[in-house]
Amino acid sequence: MDAQMFMSLGLIVATFALYIGISIFNRAKATSDFYVAARGVPPFWNGMAIGGDWMSAASYIGMAGTVMVMGYDGLAYIMGWTGGYLLLTFLLAPQLRKYGRYTVPEFIGDRYVNNTARLIAAIATLIISFTYIIGQLSGSGVVIGRILNIPAMYGTMIGVVVIAIYATLGGMKSVTWTQVAQYIILIIAYIIPIVFMSLQVTGNPIPWVTYGSVVDEIGAIDRELGLTEYFAPFQESDKSQFIALMFTLMVGAASLPHVIVRFFTVSTMKAARWSGAWALLFIGLLYFSAPAYAAFSRFILMTRVAGQPIDQLPAWTENWLNIGLLEIADQDGDGVLDWTEINANPDMVVMATPEIADLGIFVIGLMAAGAMAAALSTAGGLLVTISSSFAHDIYYRLINPEASDQKRLKAGRIVMILATIVAGVVALDPPGVITQIVAWAFALAGGTFFPVLVLGVWWRRMNSAGAIAGMLVGLGSTLGYIFLSLSGVTVFGIVDTGAGLFGVPLNFLACIVVSLMTAPPAQHIQDEVTDLRYPEQMTYKDGEVWINDGSGN
Amino acid sequence: MKKVEKAKADAYFRARTRMIVIFLIIGFLVSFGVVAFAEFFSQFKFLGVELHYYMGSQGAVLIFILCLILNAVLSDRIDRKFGIDDKISVNISNSKNIEQ
Repeated sequence: MDAQMFMSLGLIVATFALYIGISIFNRAKATSDFYVAARGVPPFWNGMAIGGDWMSAASYIGMAGTVMVMGYDGLAYIMGWTGGYLLLTFLLAPQLRKYGRYTVPEFIGDRYVNNTARLIAAIATLIISFTYIIGQLSGSGVVIGRILNIPAMYGTMIGVVVIAIYATLGGMKSVTWTQVAQYIILIIAYIIPIVFMSLQVTGNPIPWVTYGSVVDEIGAIDRELGLTEYFAPFQESDKSQFIALMFTLMVGAASLPHVIVRFFTVSTMKAARWSGAWALLFIGLLYFSAPAYAAFSRFILMTRVAGQPIDQLPAWTENWLNIGLLEIADQDGDGVLDWTEINANPDMVVMATPEIADLGIFVIGLMAAGAMAAALSTAGGLLVTISSSFAHDIYYRLINPEASDQKRLKAGRIVMILATIVAGVVALDPPGVITQIVAWAFALAGGTFFPVLVLGVWWRRMNSAGAIAGMLVGLGSTLGYIFLSLSGVTVFGIVDTGAGLFGVPLNFLACIVVSLMTAPPAQHIQDEVTDLRYPEQMTYKDGEVWINDGSGN
Repeated sequence: MKKVEKAKADAYFRARTRMIVIFLIIGFLVSFGVVAFAEFFSQFKFLGVELHYYMGSQGAVLIFILCLILNAVLSDRIDRKFGIDDKISVNISNSKNIEQ
């Protein structure tokens, strides 16, 4: 065991001990604790927890690498994943909070008074969260594989065991506070290396203002090599794909069940608005930093690694070659490693750059601990969502309404462990790079839920037949397009990750057409929807609005 | 419970909806709008990098965050104007949870 392995493992174990300590301290005792933390989380901390919940292995490990490899075209991820919070905070979160349910399938089941809709929503939630968790597990595999110097596959197996143990310990309440801790650790771990790199490359420690000039220099090196410039738009994909991907990610971000449920943990509509604002501020810190990370990594690779004799490469290359995420070959046989002969997998960039820039064992170890925090915090939130959509929406609401609290918690924990193991098996041989797998989850979430949720809170006339048709059409067309484009059939150059551009409008169309062709919902349901226009203190009843001035009913 | 006049209730809903529409249009323009005309914006430079790249990597996110904070502040102001007291809202919300 070398000093680096010792340091990385030490930091991971120390942070783990912290998370588990918080979990035990806040262990869930009642169902509402388990699912929505008894609805008492202040917006500032809820925003931070949303940040931890949200920033997954894809954001932490995958995004900077994707931007580094794809250049401008990778920025669709940055704008898509942040823009989703506009849609969520403006169109959904406060209204869903006032409606006051535990889960997304429960809202759909109760708003449309229909158990078929509830079941479809619960199954879709399971599919979406399951796809998402595959990305997390394959991310933890990259990290553990690197630390222990074993293939990413074995790293994934270890990650599965760790996550399964960790997530069954607590529920939403413990998840809330561990996610806050995980956010703090992952953001510190992400920003420290880019501050050092900025200092190394430009002599100025504020990466957000310095990396623009680095991007410019990379463009100059590209020109010299006869390649298209790094920042030139639409080199790696078409404009249509960029827009489709950005749309898919935005709409998906606004409809992910494990993110929406975090807005059920605050007390009021006002708190939901503030939660959204705080959340995007905390998330933005990492998203501002990812393109800087990408620029510095690319610059360092281009100026310090490329151009070296192939038999004198630095020690770090060997580790990544062993894990299988880096490929180099002296294609022109001149004994020098050229930039075009380096084939770096996007998933290695964030983890490898601190090594490449020689930032010391503490910073490298901190990166590893931060990456594990990102994977774990999202996996924790996802597993709570998986367990609640099974135990609460399927088991309790549809199969056994008499089930006790204990029985439901137990059913939830069993499903959590099962889901982790099955996702782990899929993640052993990941079907794509992390950001791509996660983009599928977004396409499915947006394609299935976005129209049904938005119309559900804004349009009185929307009924159960419309919701069922919309969800089935949306889920089917999104899944269908993902498989079609993976097998080579594409429309307008839009590939699998942009599938939401088809699924979402088709879903809207199905919702509206079918709703208008069938009978309107009952009057009290329509009144409940009108009621969502007003804050908690105002109530809509029989065409009139009443205000509660605190004098009692 | 006091009855709210229909005109006042409608005014509340209109004020909130107008804000949502304005902020969503701004968000749409700085993201999709800039991407659609990326080639045009690439002739300008900001903070050492071409504008389309800057907007994608920082500008759009910054404006999103400002929109959300501004929305939260302005919404609170509208609520106060219409006589909404946050403490009462929290109480109503809590008692509703216990009922369920």
